[in-house]
Amino acid sequence: MAGSVALPQSQAQSHQPALQCLRVIPGVLLLAAVGYAGKLLEKNVGAYAKAHHWTFPNIEYVLWAILIGLAISNTVGVPAIFRAGVATYEFWLKAGIVLLGARFLLGDVLKLGGVSLVLVAIEIAGATAFMIFLGRAFGLRPKLTSLLAVGSAVCGVSAIIATQGAIEADEEDSSFAIAAILALGALSLFTFPVIGHWLHLSDRAYGLWAGLAVDNTAEATAAGALYSDAAGKLAVLAKTTRNAMIGFVVLAYATYWANQGKAKTITNRAAFLWQKFPKFVLGFLLISILATYQFFNKEQITAIANLSRWAFLLTFAGVGLRTNFREMRKQGLRPFAVGAIGEVAIAIFTLAVVVGAEKLVGF
Amino acid sequence: MSTESKAVNTRKNWLLSLDSWAVVAAFAAALLIRAGVFKHIPW
Repeated sequence: MAGSVALPQSQAQSHQPALQCLRVIPGVLLLAAVGYAGKLLEKNVGAYAKAHHWTFPNIEYVLWAILIGLAISNTVGVPAIFRAGVATYEFWLKAGIVLLGARFLLGDVLKLGGVSLVLVAIEIAGATAFMIFLGRAFGLRPKLTSLLAVGSAVCGVSAIIATQGAIEADEEDSSFAIAAILALGALSLFTFPVIGHWLHLSDRAYGLWAGLAVDNTAEATAAGALYSDAAGKLAVLAKTTRNAMIGFVVLAYATYWANQGKAKTITNRAAFLWQKFPKFVLGFLLISILATYQFFNKEQITAIANLSRWAFLLTFAGVGLRTNFREMRKQGLRPFAVGAIGEVAIAIFTLAVVVGAEKLVGF
Repeated sequence: MSTESKAVNTRKNWLLSLDSWAVVAAFAAALLIRAGVFKHIPW
């Protein structure tokens, strides 16, 4: 999930929290401006088109914010002064997910989370096996194949970065895998909602599908929100369940490569799992428990839910601003081809699994 | 990708991970709403 936005050298060297906070302000303001512009465009473009009797699709703020960000990033580029702040989109994403927990009752989390967990286990097994097969078929380096497999199966860029350290893969390999996952995540924003509407998927089925098939958490959240509010909630829940698996999958890969004598052996597995476990999943569950036991009243839950929407708005702006197609093109075609073929297969596989589960279990 | 590594290294220098900071910030905001400091967040 870490962005591809370069941090200035001086920032990487500076460890002073106060200075870091000041450095992120311009970029955070840019995220807010792009996100708010998206919100204004949603409101005004539709009204303007209606007033002039134009046929114009109703484009939601999510897509406007991403499109404005993409336009900036791929034309004038993001100036250095904004980059540190734009990279905070991941922070807003995680804070937004924690706050979103207030909109879930614990019973729903357990029921849908249980369904998600089963589907996630099927998805991880299927995606990992298929990506390893594809990597071998295309003659990719074994560790690059592992990185692509873990990125596709679990959690996008975060999983790739975590696995890179654990299996001691080259930076070049992780760079290839990250570029492929980010490019395909960007494509999913434009293809998933269209396919969902074309197949008349329910909000629940679509949300689960987006959460299972889109690799990066920010893109999965955006792809869900582009379909509907309810689908967005479900996409976050399914993706959060996938994120919770990150430690186990990375541990499995680390153990495999250590047994091959090509990575360090992990001695304290419990500490390793805790270190890799995404803490925002615990925050999400805790807020959901508090909401279920009426720690917050109805107005307070509405306020928390709105705060979560604002946090996501900054995230969606960041998704567009950190996506630079020119940079991605430089990474080469083969990892992208493996990623693309794998992602299409995983999307079809998970769609079949979700539609089948909806018919069987009726979630 | 060296910039990614820099980002990760920068994060390690903070007291808590980015994940944990996000959780702390979200809980602080939720508690301020619970305490009535922020009564209404418009959307």
